[in-house]
Amino acid sequence: MTAARAHFDEAQGALIASGVWHADSIIPVLPKLAGKVVRILDGAGITELDTNGAWLLLAAARPQAGDPMPEFRSFQPHHLAMLELVAQYSAVTDAKPKPPREGVLELAGRGTLVIWGHVIGLVNFIGRLFLELVDLMAFPGRWRWRELGAQVNAVFVGAIPIVFGMLFLLGVVFAYLLGSQAQQYGANIFVVDGLLLAIMREVSPVIVAVLVAGRTGAAITAQIGTMKVTEEIDAITTLGLSPLAVLVIPRVIALLLAMPLLVFIGDIAGILGGMAVTKEQLDISSHMFMDRLVDVMDLKTLLVGVCKAPVFAIFIALIACRMGLSVTRDARSVGNNTTSTVVQSLVAIIIVNAIFAVMFVRLDI
Amino acid sequence: MAESVIEVHDVSIKLGGYSIHRGLSLSVARGEVIALIGGSGSGKSVLLREIIGLVKPQGGRIKLFGKSVWDSTPAQMNSLRRRFGVLFQDGALFSSLSVEDNVATPLFEHTELPRVTCRQLARLKLAMVGLPPDAARKRPSELSGGMRKRVALARALALDPELLFLDEPTSGLDPISGRAFDALIRLLADSLGLTVFLVTHDLDTLFSIIDRVIVLSDGRVLGSGTLAELKQIDDLWLREYFAARPTEGETLYGN
Repeated sequence: MTAARAHFDEAQGALIASGVWHADSIIPVLPKLAGKVVRILDGAGITELDTNGAWLLLAAARPQAGDPMPEFRSFQPHHLAMLELVAQYSAVTDAKPKPPREGVLELAGRGTLVIWGHVIGLVNFIGRLFLELVDLMAFPGRWRWRELGAQVNAVFVGAIPIVFGMLFLLGVVFAYLLGSQAQQYGANIFVVDGLLLAIMREVSPVIVAVLVAGRTGAAITAQIGTMKVTEEIDAITTLGLSPLAVLVIPRVIALLLAMPLLVFIGDIAGILGGMAVTKEQLDISSHMFMDRLVDVMDLKTLLVGVCKAPVFAIFIALIACRMGLSVTRDARSVGNNTTSTVVQSLVAIIIVNAIFAVMFVRLDI
Repeated sequence: MAESVIEVHDVSIKLGGYSIHRGLSLSVARGEVIALIGGSGSGKSVLLREIIGLVKPQGGRIKLFGKSVWDSTPAQMNSLRRRFGVLFQDGALFSSLSVEDNVATPLFEHTELPRVTCRQLARLKLAMVGLPPDAARKRPSELSGGMRKRVALARALALDPELLFLDEPTSGLDPISGRAFDALIRLLADSLGLTVFLVTHDLDTLFSIIDRVIVLSDGRVLGSGTLAELKQIDDLWLREYFAARPTEGETLYGN
C-alpha cells in the first residue's frame, strides 16, 4: 500500500495530495498539514480515497468548520463525490471540549448522595417487602416452597465445603498463635478457652457472613439483575405475580435459615482445626481437649454467635435483592450493582457486628 | 464479471450431530448488494459466522478478497478483518462505552490516529447514518432500537470497509424505521461503493434494495438471482415465502 503524500504550494496556496488516503496510511502526513491557509485542494494524484481520508483531507484544508471551503481541483469524479458527501457532515464533527473534571468536593458530595440513596432505598425496600409478607400471610397458597427449597440448596448445601475449609484453617491459625503465647506461661490448656470464645463469638459468624456476602449475595444480584436485563422481571409482573414474592422472599428466607446452620458448621470446623493443632503443638490430647471443652463451653457462647447470623443474613439478602432489582437495562449496571452489593454487605456486617459487640458488653452477656 | 469478494466453495459443517451445510458454494462480486434467505434453521447465521471467521467449517474453502479465511495466520486474518464490517443482529454495542466511543473503538484499536481525531471521525460516521449530534455522548441503553442499529452500522463503517455484513438489519424495527434503514444501507452502498451481504427475513428489504438473492435450503444453495428469477423456481418453501406477503389492500387473515 503506497502511503498518502501531500505538499503545500506556497505560491498558489494549494495543498497537493496524492497516494492512498486511508485512515492509517495518512498518519505520517498529518504534521505537514497543520497551520496552513489552503485555498486550493489538488487531488489529481490521489489513487484511493475513503470517508476517513476525505475527512482528514478536508480537516487539513479547513481547520475550523466556519472556514471557507477550498476550491477542489482535478479530483477524479468519484473522489469528488466522496469529498462532497463528507463535507455535508463536517459541521457536526468539530471537536467539542470535554466536560471539566470534578473536584474532590464534588465527588464527596456525589458519594454522600449515593450512600443516602442506598439507605433510603433499603428502608423503602423493607417496607414493600413487609407489605408483601402480610399479603402472603393472608394467602398461604402463594408461598413458593419449591423455589425456597432450590434456594436453600444453593445457599446452604453449596456453601458447606468452603465454610468448613475456611473455618478449619482459621481454627488452625488461631490455636497456633494462641498456643505459642500460652506455652510461655505454661497455660497450655487455656488455649481451648480462648479458641472457643474467639471462634464461636466472633470469627465464625463474621467470616461466614463475609463468605456468604461474596458468594451468595453477589450471585443473587447478578441473577436478578440479568433477569431484569432480559425483561423476565417484567414478564413476572405482567403474569400477575409479584417479583418480591417469587424472587425476593424465598431468597431472604433461605439465607435466614442457612446462615445460622453455616455458622454452627463453622464453629465445629474451627474447633476441629484448633484441636488438630493443640494436639501437635501443645500435647493436649483429644480427650483432654474435649474434657476442657465440656467444662468451659456454655450455651450462651454458642447462642451469641448463632444469633448474630440471622441479622447478617437479613442484611445480605435485602441488599443483594434490592441491588438486583435496581439494575438498569445494560450489562455494565449488572457489574456495578454486583460490586455494590458486596461492598454494602461487608460494610453492613462490620457495623452490625460492632453494634452487637458493644451491646453484649453493656448487657453483660 | 467483476472480481469476487466472497467465495464459498463446497463448505460443509456439522453442529451438534446435525449436518448444517452440505457442499455449499456461492460467490459475491464487488459492488453487489446480496441477500441471503432461507427457512429457520437453514444455517444462514452459521454461514455468516463461517465467512467472518467465527465458526470453522469442517470442510471446504472460504475466501474473502481472494484470501482464504481459515488458512490465514492471525496477523493476516486481522488485516482481513479491517476490510469488512459486521452489523450483529442486536447491534452488540458495548454498553460500558458512550455511543461515540463505540464507533471510535475500531479506529482506536486499528489506526494510530490521535484519539480526538478518532472521535471526530466517529461523529462523521454517526452523522452519515442519520443520527442527531446529541446522540454521540449518550449510552447505548438510552437509545431506541432503531437508533442502536444505526450506531452499530456506524461502528461497522468506522474503518471504511469494502464489504459489509448485516445480520437481520431490520428485525425488531417498525416498518417505517425498517424502510428508512434499508434506504440508508442502499445509499451508503452506492455512495461508498460497498459490497453488502445481508441475512434477512424481511420481504420488504428484498423488494426494495437487493441486487441478487441467494436462497439456502437443505444445506445447499437452492438458487440465486433476482426476485423474478427466484419466483420461477419450483420449491415449496420458496412459494410459501413469497406468498406470505399480502398485496396492497388485502389482508391474509381477518377482515
